[in-house]
Amino acid sequence: MTTLIKLEIVRALRNKKFMFFSVIYPPALYLIIAGGADSTPIPGMKLNMGLYFMVSMAAFGAMTAVLLGNSERIAKEREKGWVRQLRLTALPGRGYVAAKMAAAATVSLPSIVLVMLAAAVVKGVRLEAWQWLAIAAGTWLGSFVFAALGVAIGYLATGDAVRPIAMLIYFGLAFLGGLWMPLTILPQWVQNIAEWLPTHAYTALGTAVEAGGAPHVKDIAILAGYLVLFAGGAAWLYRKDTRRA
Amino acid sequence: MTTTATSTVTAAQEADRAPVVSFRQVSKSYGAVRAVADLNMELHPGETVALLGPNGAGKSSTLDLLLGLRGADAGTVTLFGTTPQRAIEQGRVGAMLQSGGLMEGVKVRELVKLARDLHPRGYPLDEVLATAGITEIADRMVDKLSGGQEQRVRFALATAGANDLIVLDEPTTGMDVTARQTFWGAMRKQAQQGRTVLFATHYLEEADAIADRVIVLHRGRVLADGTAAEIKARAGARRVTFDLDEPVDHAALQGLPHLTSLTVSHSGSAAGSGRTVRIQSQDADATVHAVYRLGLYPHNLEVSGLGLEQAFIALTTASDQSSATAEEAAR
Repeated sequence: MTTLIKLEIVRALRNKKFMFFSVIYPPALYLIIAGGADSTPIPGMKLNMGLYFMVSMAAFGAMTAVLLGNSERIAKEREKGWVRQLRLTALPGRGYVAAKMAAAATVSLPSIVLVMLAAAVVKGVRLEAWQWLAIAAGTWLGSFVFAALGVAIGYLATGDAVRPIAMLIYFGLAFLGGLWMPLTILPQWVQNIAEWLPTHAYTALGTAVEAGGAPHVKDIAILAGYLVLFAGGAAWLYRKDTRRA
Repeated sequence: MTTTATSTVTAAQEADRAPVVSFRQVSKSYGAVRAVADLNMELHPGETVALLGPNGAGKSSTLDLLLGLRGADAGTVTLFGTTPQRAIEQGRVGAMLQSGGLMEGVKVRELVKLARDLHPRGYPLDEVLATAGITEIADRMVDKLSGGQEQRVRFALATAGANDLIVLDEPTTGMDVTARQTFWGAMRKQAQQGRTVLFATHYLEEADAIADRVIVLHRGRVLADGTAAEIKARAGARRVTFDLDEPVDHAALQGLPHLTSLTVSHSGSAAGSGRTVRIQSQDADATVHAVYRLGLYPHNLEVSGLGLEQAFIALTTASDQSSATAEEAAR
């Protein structure tokens, strides 16, 4: 199983094009959105644009890399019959899911670090050392939830359907989770839904730390719940998949 | 099967004696198409078995069911007395599928190492590469292989550890003659180590030369099951051909002993009444003897062996004819 995990990481690193865009895209988007903003706090929040978007863009970037990358690649591997071949080995379902998540996490870590670097260098964001570390670690660990979701989508959809489905879920989650704009400027009913979404809980980890506190237990619980749900579902779909496709 | 289980036989010994593969009344349909119909089949330790059948006979579906890649609609499939999934998890089965793809973006060596490491009883990496004949291409990327090379890599994946059963679906597709010979050489070594080997093929020579047992599948059922020689015998093992100048008495020819098929046609050489008689017989000596006893004077008498291919065609067409007759009778 560790061989598969290592091999998936090696493959991810070899795929230079995908790596490059996944890593460059989030910091670029961060600078475009938060670049011209001043340091006045966002209405209804203690944080300013630079701080808020550092966390949300790091989260968005990590999510792009793991969710879109995973779902498309897995659907392709199923079509090619590699998954079928893999199912004839002693590899348990969780091994496959773990390897895919590990590969995704390899891609997401540099993009998270780059967004934080851009925030510190260009926007002059200053935080305590423990805050930097906590945000990086939280955003990175939280990305596993979306990696698992990516695996599950790769199993639910086939071929041409996988991209639109993944995109829909990805943009829906990003928007409703407040990754593109602070939720406080959205209507109350959207905020009520958003509270229970994994993306909202995901950014809430980082913003809580930025505000100087510890992440809320509720957000961690929500993320853990989604992780179990997505990873379990993905492993189940891997074992159950009897379609030839 | 008659097993007299005495009280001294332990459960473990009993499990060892369980058939390697057992299909009991297994059926599988895709919509209205019945791919596998009430299939019964047992493989025993150490056998090399060829699964033979025309396209659409249900070979691939049978292998899918055997490997647990699909579930049966009815009946039970067991490997080593347990479910296919469990047998695979225990590393007892190695399989090479036609539809099995390879992981892209990795080197051959890395991929084979993965298969070896995933196997509970994996062999040394260099040994696996050498056995499959892919040592020279070990550092190539998997995406850049030819069809025949890909097949050899698949073979390496299927034999990366100590399996008890090896399943191969059309393994030599895309290989040239030399590669094919090397491949079967490697396969024979596996069989000599006491492994059970099951392979589906449409190359009848391969089944004839390599398998000690041939199972002919047709319309999802077992049509014939035995050694290649037995299958040939069942279909009428030898072909007898001769020309006759005199008028042919059909009824008399039809009454020849051990006859399985008879065709009479105008012979090209002799003008007028000349006829060529073609017979398939299970005992050519007795049949020819009887031809002379009828008072006939056959010219250009030839007795030749029937290949497995002809036997196979004879069997499947006979089955099609009888099922067509049955359908007509049902109307």
